[in-house]
Amino acid sequence: MCTYKLSKSELVELQNKRLRWLVKYVFDRSPFYRRRFIENGIDPESIRTKEDLRRIPFTTKTDLRDNYPLGLVSSDLSQIVRFHASSGTTGNPTVVAYTKQDVESWAELNARCLEIAGVTPKDVVQVSYGYGLFTGGLGLHYGAERLGAKVIPASTGNTKRQLKLMKDLGTTVICCTPSYGLFLAESARDEGLDPKRDLKLRVGVFGAEPWSENTRRRLEEQFVESAHDIYGMSELNGPGVAMECVMKDGLHVWEDHYIVEIIDPNTGEVLEPGEKGEMVVTTIMKEGMPLLRYRTRDITILDDEPCECGLSHARIKRILGRTDDMLKIRGICVFPSQVEEILMKTEGVSPHYQLIVDREGVMDRLMVRVEVSEDFKTDRLTDLVNLQQKLEEELKDTLSIHAVVELVEPKKLPRSEGKAQRIIDMRKI
Amino acid sequence: MIKQLSVFLENRPGRLANLLNILESHNIKVLAMGIAEAGNYGIVRLIVDRKGEALEVLRGANMAVNETNVIAINLNDLSSAVRTLGDANINIDYAYTMDCQRVILKVNNEVEAIKALSGAGIKALEV
Repeated sequence: MCTYKLSKSELVELQNKRLRWLVKYVFDRSPFYRRRFIENGIDPESIRTKEDLRRIPFTTKTDLRDNYPLGLVSSDLSQIVRFHASSGTTGNPTVVAYTKQDVESWAELNARCLEIAGVTPKDVVQVSYGYGLFTGGLGLHYGAERLGAKVIPASTGNTKRQLKLMKDLGTTVICCTPSYGLFLAESARDEGLDPKRDLKLRVGVFGAEPWSENTRRRLEEQFVESAHDIYGMSELNGPGVAMECVMKDGLHVWEDHYIVEIIDPNTGEVLEPGEKGEMVVTTIMKEGMPLLRYRTRDITILDDEPCECGLSHARIKRILGRTDDMLKIRGICVFPSQVEEILMKTEGVSPHYQLIVDREGVMDRLMVRVEVSEDFKTDRLTDLVNLQQKLEEELKDTLSIHAVVELVEPKKLPRSEGKAQRIIDMRKI
Repeated sequence: MIKQLSVFLENRPGRLANLLNILESHNIKVLAMGIAEAGNYGIVRLIVDRKGEALEVLRGANMAVNETNVIAINLNDLSSAVRTLGDANINIDYAYTMDCQRVILKVNNEVEAIKALSGAGIKALEV
């Protein structure tokens, strides 16, 4: 692997140099960006440093959809060696295109991610993200291979086989969504296995959906020794954009490949480190489909303080939610992760939940369906009523709106093997 | 003293039938049943003939179930039993009948309750 352990000043210098390359590259090659620059009266020569970026308009998911499939490809099509696509639940999917160099970089970044989480060539890495058009599986696969570890390309699904592979091949690193991680732990127990004793999982690489500190605690109590958050999205290669090091206090963004800004999602104004807002990313190494100021719709906070692990790459806090997953209920922003956080610390319920929003007259109503855990011990109705009321009070304190809690029987809510489907919005607007 | 099973169930059609079907399919007989409900959920309290096995199959079916100590007495003894417990300052949390002849009582202190009842000549029954 090339060295990524650069000093802050080396990093900034590299970022500015690569940014100048990128601006010239897209101006020369991408009709989309060339038009953007001309329409906004921006001279590409005038973009010299990160600070100059602010003058460039954002690129959005809508831009990608409007230019489906390949309108944002900058390189010559003959240089493209790979396509991935994200699901197109609201119309066209988003297609991303990689040059040979992009695939190389992507592998390198994922190898770094694994390395800073403590993964070594001696590890057996089970990749239980989907393989195929989704970038999760192949991204970590390439990274683990680049690192020199042993890879089990298990992909998603077939939980029994996943557990058997873990046991028989001595898996030490699991890569999957955190909800699937909890599901695997639960399934292992159902099969009479104690994951902490009967499996050898050292490191968990959990991503593709927002999760919480409480989920980490649960994953580390029940499943893996050390649970790490990984961040990425197909528009930015896939997984491997940012990763938690062994300190587990924020995710290092690979700043020699990505420039990160945090903006106010409503005004577009760039915020200071420490302020919560939408993450905007500029890819400064991608050739196939580089993006300038891409609005990720992920909400986080930038932390540019030095990390105890020694890396100078800035960190982002775990993703707090998505601007579009964010539920607006009676004008108040509700993130599913806030609900999860409360459930995780409440005895007597499982972390599985469903949010149901509907509208009665002009009033939005939020219902949270929660599973009573199997070991909830009581014969008294009052204990259940108290549990329900306690949850309702805590939700009210955290969300600032009243939510009705409905207790359901254990294991009755749908389990997802990919991104968890937890929100049902029945409002007719 | 006898053991009651307490099962958390959603309060909607078919859930109780499902619970009883599971028990029946394992030849477990229900001897008494009481239900307490609050809105969309409730607790079903059961006395069964083979408690250990019932616990196992219900847990296997992913149900939230646990055991509780209760007392069974003859229906004929009811009014004197209730007076005795009241005098001994023991609270009856809930009660339900069993086969028209016996009453199941859940009290806040079973040991003291049985002592008080036997002092008054009232027998706590076994099933």
